[in-house]
Amino acid sequence: MTQSFRLNDVGLINRDKKISFKFNGVTYYGYEGDTLASALIANGVHLVGRSFKYHRPRGFFGAGVDEPYAIVQLYRNGETEPNIKATEQELFEGLEAKSVNCWPSVNFDVGAINNFLKIFLPAGFYYKTFMWPKSFWYKVYEPFIRKAAGLGVASTKHDKERYEHKYEYCDLLIAGSGPSGLASAYAAAKNGARVILAEDKSRFGGTLLTSDVNIGNQTGKEWADGIISELKEMPNVTVKNRSQVFGYYDHNMLVMSERISDHLPSTKKFHPKQRLWYIRAKEVLISSGSIERPLVFGNNDTPGVMLSSAAKEYLKVYGVLVGKKPLIFTNNDSGYETAIELKKNGVDPIILDTRKDPHSEIIDEAKNLGIEIKFSYVVVAAQGYKKVKSADISKISDDKEQLGTIENIKCDCICVSGFWTPTIHLASQSGNKTQFKEEIDAFIPGESKQNEKTLGAANGIYTLDETLKSSFEVGNEISKKITNKENKVSFPNVVEKKSTVHDKFWCVPLPKGKNYKRFLDFQNDVAVSDIEIALREGYRSIEHVKRYTTLGMATDQGKTSNLNGLQLVSKIENKVVPAVGHTTFRPPYTPVSIGAIVGREIGKHSKPTRKSPMHFWHEKNNAVFVDAGVWLRPRYYKQGNETLFEGSKREAKNVRTNVGVCDVTTLGKIDIKGPDAAELLNRVYTNAWLKLPVGKARYGVMLREDGIVMDDGTTTRISENHYHMTTTTAQAANVLSHLEYYLQLVWPDLNVNVVSSTEQWAGAAIAGPKSRDLLQKLFPNSDVSNEGLPFMGYMEGDLFGVKARIFRISFSGELAYEVNVESDYGNFMWEKIMEIGEEFQIQPYGTEALSTLRIEMGHVAGSELDGRTIPYDNSLEGLLSKKKDFIGKRSLTREAFTAEDRQKVVGVVPLDKKTSIPEGSHLVKDSNAPLPNPKLGYISASCWSVEHDNPFSLAILKNGKNMIGEKLYVMSPLKNKVIPVEIVSSHYVDPKGERVRS
Amino acid sequence: MQKYSIFNLVKNAFANHQNWDLAWKDPTPKKEYDVVIIGGGGHGLATAYYLAKEHNITNVAIIEKGWIGGGNVGRNTTIIRSNYMHDDNALFSEFGMDLWRKMSQDLNYNVMFSPRGIINLAHSDAQMNVYARRGNSMRLNGIDAVLLNREQVREIIPMADFSENVRFPIFGGLMQPSAGTARHDAVAWGYARQADSMGVDIIQNCEVIGFDISGGKINGVRTSRGDIKAKKIGLCVAGSTNVLAEKLNMTLPIETHLLQACVSEPVKPVLDGVVTFGAGHFYISQSDKGEMVMGGDLDGYNSYAQRGNLPTLQHVLTEGIAMMPFLSKLKMLRTWGGIMDMSMDGSPIIDKTHIEGLYLNCGWCYGGFKATPASGWTFAHTIAQDRVHELNSGYSLNRFNTGHLLDEKGLGTKTWIS
Amino acid sequence: MRSQNEFSYGGDATVKRPDLNKEISDQEWDNFVYNRKSLRGKHWELWQHISGCRQWIKVERDTATHEIFMTLKANEEISL
Repeated sequence: MTQSFRLNDVGLINRDKKISFKFNGVTYYGYEGDTLASALIANGVHLVGRSFKYHRPRGFFGAGVDEPYAIVQLYRNGETEPNIKATEQELFEGLEAKSVNCWPSVNFDVGAINNFLKIFLPAGFYYKTFMWPKSFWYKVYEPFIRKAAGLGVASTKHDKERYEHKYEYCDLLIAGSGPSGLASAYAAAKNGARVILAEDKSRFGGTLLTSDVNIGNQTGKEWADGIISELKEMPNVTVKNRSQVFGYYDHNMLVMSERISDHLPSTKKFHPKQRLWYIRAKEVLISSGSIERPLVFGNNDTPGVMLSSAAKEYLKVYGVLVGKKPLIFTNNDSGYETAIELKKNGVDPIILDTRKDPHSEIIDEAKNLGIEIKFSYVVVAAQGYKKVKSADISKISDDKEQLGTIENIKCDCICVSGFWTPTIHLASQSGNKTQFKEEIDAFIPGESKQNEKTLGAANGIYTLDETLKSSFEVGNEISKKITNKENKVSFPNVVEKKSTVHDKFWCVPLPKGKNYKRFLDFQNDVAVSDIEIALREGYRSIEHVKRYTTLGMATDQGKTSNLNGLQLVSKIENKVVPAVGHTTFRPPYTPVSIGAIVGREIGKHSKPTRKSPMHFWHEKNNAVFVDAGVWLRPRYYKQGNETLFEGSKREAKNVRTNVGVCDVTTLGKIDIKGPDAAELLNRVYTNAWLKLPVGKARYGVMLREDGIVMDDGTTTRISENHYHMTTTTAQAANVLSHLEYYLQLVWPDLNVNVVSSTEQWAGAAIAGPKSRDLLQKLFPNSDVSNEGLPFMGYMEGDLFGVKARIFRISFSGELAYEVNVESDYGNFMWEKIMEIGEEFQIQPYGTEALSTLRIEMGHVAGSELDGRTIPYDNSLEGLLSKKKDFIGKRSLTREAFTAEDRQKVVGVVPLDKKTSIPEGSHLVKDSNAPLPNPKLGYISASCWSVEHDNPFSLAILKNGKNMIGEKLYVMSPLKNKVIPVEIVSSHYVDPKGERVRS
Repeated sequence: MQKYSIFNLVKNAFANHQNWDLAWKDPTPKKEYDVVIIGGGGHGLATAYYLAKEHNITNVAIIEKGWIGGGNVGRNTTIIRSNYMHDDNALFSEFGMDLWRKMSQDLNYNVMFSPRGIINLAHSDAQMNVYARRGNSMRLNGIDAVLLNREQVREIIPMADFSENVRFPIFGGLMQPSAGTARHDAVAWGYARQADSMGVDIIQNCEVIGFDISGGKINGVRTSRGDIKAKKIGLCVAGSTNVLAEKLNMTLPIETHLLQACVSEPVKPVLDGVVTFGAGHFYISQSDKGEMVMGGDLDGYNSYAQRGNLPTLQHVLTEGIAMMPFLSKLKMLRTWGGIMDMSMDGSPIIDKTHIEGLYLNCGWCYGGFKATPASGWTFAHTIAQDRVHELNSGYSLNRFNTGHLLDEKGLGTKTWIS
Repeated sequence: MRSQNEFSYGGDATVKRPDLNKEISDQEWDNFVYNRKSLRGKHWELWQHISGCRQWIKVERDTATHEIFMTLKANEEISL
């Protein structure tokens, strides 16, 4: 294929570097510096896709971020990405792209049948039908609609690319490198301010790249190039291209996405694909320019109809002609600029100007160049299906209501200009209440809400001279206040052509007897008639109009359609535009990769992983791990082909008969110091703490203020004013925050400090009848006898030269100890315990055996303390002090909490002593009762009792206190199980607690 | 009222769609109504509809500060389910499921309810047990629930992360096959159209300024469009409940919080049902348009701003990619925020108040959309009969005093932790 | 200025916990545990610098615009 629409000597592309690429399987050539769009147009390709609803042919409409049409599926480096705008995708060697939303091909698309059915498919048609028969919606109609909808195809493969985040501060963030951005950045940089200048495109300069203007003795482009190279040299300035500031959040936080590798055939090693910048800026200058508005006429979505500014950009930047017989349809002077550029490059455009008799420098120049101009003329309809072939044009009356005789003229493209809409998204996102500016028929930012100012075209200033002057001024003033330095630059002389006022007319009436679709939203196929229906049916708020018709909800987010929609509503409703109001601008300004938003926290790194110091020992010894929050804990240590059930049973049994050791490092630990420490404990725990002697531990329960159990654990008095608190693994962070809350805010008079020491200590629980014998060998110099270290006692010891803390506490109902050493010695401690324990048949045990042991002794844990139970429910009412107040005590008097038949923890044993009871089952009186079957309680935890060698469960049961001995049914409909059971005491092992004290 | 049907659509097409009636009128408020419903959201519109349909009370006005359906009914992620553990929540929601199933025909408006199923993923055996407790409770309450193992989950959503490089592997999930999604705006519009046709006045752009209360009884409401008398007034203003409560001198067990959601660009169908992540807070479904609809945690501070911040979305989407890595290559298209009534136990309030004739419907947290029909139905009953129905008896205001709490998640009063 | 990520929220700062051991009515207790004004506009609230110095602070913030007006240390009283 030849680039038959490429000019020889115009444009900023690199003609020395030819690039080959494929579109829909055909190989084409372009140049370095092309976009996919410019390269395709250079090759005469105008049909790139199909529209969302009617599957009408789609070409190119713009040349950048505002593009509603040219959405393609991109293939790069073995991966595919949906919904890439061809106007934004830079060309690289080997690029492949395909059309989306068409089958079997973009040229022959079966879905286009919708185009012939379109009279039956107006806005909201789906709300009015597809209701009969009832089951057909989900089974028949909807699957069909779903298949037809959507654009590209999402690959379900893992994304191999890398995305990074960067956090940055600056004095001034300037969004957009057009004239206002460059001028303000330059002035601020000269004053020494730290500046970030962001440009969405690959080239800096914005409209200066395409405008026929002079600044000083340079062309606009030369001036822009000069400023940029100077800025790049300055150490206080960061200049970023391919970088879109897409969101303006609270407290002057802006977010920018930088496309680092998207324009390359593959991402370089150690480079990210994209980088997300969180930028906290002191001041923000919004120089995001403006977007040309379409004019609306029949079949104005035909490929070949495009914005006149886009046509100019394709010509001036890429050296590409969008057509060889162009028609320019305009209501202002901008169309003339495009016509003049075309004329200068040997093409004869015809201008249709809706205005009757406008006069300006630009119009004069066009006339002098001999361009044919038809005043008071409109395009009534484009003709041609897959490409514009001709246009029906007509004279229009002065009141713009009456069309004259329709003439047909041949053309291969129609460049439209309906004047300019300032890009106010960022300002509006900042909270700025926009205002309507009558002279330009568009909204501009109002009073600044955060530290933002809007410059140039984004602020409705459309002359270069005024834009540069005000932007220099603002850049200088703002930066001067920050840096206290002024280094004023002299303002250059600007030469630009003067233009005259635009015509407020933008929507061409339908000729008699014709029912052309006149489109407003080109991607979502929303036409003038759709807005009319919405209003006719009473969907009159602009939000109703948007939602009913889907106007502005496509991937271009209505950049070219919203204002025209608004103007139409205001015209039909006979209201002024500001009274109609616009829908809310929300981030992102343009779609952003979810990968970029997330960054590096993916896969294994999506959340941190915490490991105990003994982790690698566990790993080496065949531990099977389980996630406990972000911690990894051994669940059991697998021997041979053991199952979890077999392994945990073996481990638990060994604890009951010999001795076992369990890694309890993950328990939360809080170091508490200060003269009022005991008083704090006395207030946060439900039981009494003022008389705990030094060297003693005590079990405690803490409540939330609403009376619900928050956590349990032991706290040990290490010395006079020093306590060591343990919490459950899950609640460690909450308990610390809870203590800090009360200490800092509620009882600041208490002289106590708390700090987390979870990570400072490695912990090993040694449990079983032989645990004392083992301990004695571990600490030969300490007296660990029942007298020397009684139940709930504490002492410090010397573990072969390592300082250790020894607590005599038990979670298993056996004689048991917990030894803590500084984390660095954790592995040493563990290996010593295993080495010396060998003679006592020691075995490590994991969380599963730990659960078994605690369940059969009736010790409540996380599955009972589930944020819904009070102390009574857990048989912890004995720990409620009657004498003193504590957190949450006042709530315990509530009616439901004191009810006679209040739920309580009980034990559950299957009548056959064989059938395991699934956790999460419920207890019922009658297993055959009709649904809903009243539930009396639920199974909170189950185990195989190693003590009794039969299944045993804990349950929270209504009226549990009086249910011991009752026969009920456990039901698990999910597992299809009904098990007759007997309710027993929750203390299934050593109910008198003799072993722990032995 | 004009009936919506395929025949009518064809007939109107040939008339160039010039003959469609107003879906609802735009009346001037009358001086007095039997019942005034404050809030033209889903719940308010449904309440008015059921007042007319079930209780024959049609002299009703709905007054709405902005435009109907502009609150959370138009800002949610469209999920409909009844997979609750507590009986009060489960039976209420399941009653609602029945109303959902026949809603399109009932309203003669296609609300596009689709029972595409919801799966709550579990990432440990312990979590499987927690889900089993809920699933078994559902089954005993007559609600469908299935416990899926890892392979069964993989068959349904192969694009979830079943690889080695995963932080929290999928162990299985709890599925409610009859759960699904609906077209949120259509629900508001469908109720509005039917309520209007039965004589209810839908009054938009009408802001409540104050209340007329004397002798412990409500007499009417003062609005930006004049005073309106009514012996019965129902409040259905989730998100603004605390603002109106202040005008009533009431302090409620509710905090007002911000919840964000977002959609990706539309892609061809890849995900049929609704899936939630178990190792965090993230949920996703794909709309009929092809957009992936996603949400998660609250922003976590009291807010009335319908705008959130990116770090929260980053956090939510991080969990999204952890669950379904392919999301990485999609682009986030649109984000928005809704204002939630976060009640202190996570469950709603539908009740009478200490002021005679004043009824309260609030505290929906982020579960309001699915409750729209059941909420409207029970609230209409409560207003019409001046007594709560059995279905909403658990949703009393004084449960916070009595301790009959309905805390599905066990998080207590820190409503901002989700 | 520190990132929001470093902080965790703690709710209405004007809610005062009743003194320990003081006889109070159900209403007073419920007002402390459950009932919140949660108004639109200026709102005094608690935040903890949880990934930092762990201090609780009091912040006056606008719930409609998220604007922050003033911060106080934990031991400083709010003057309304």
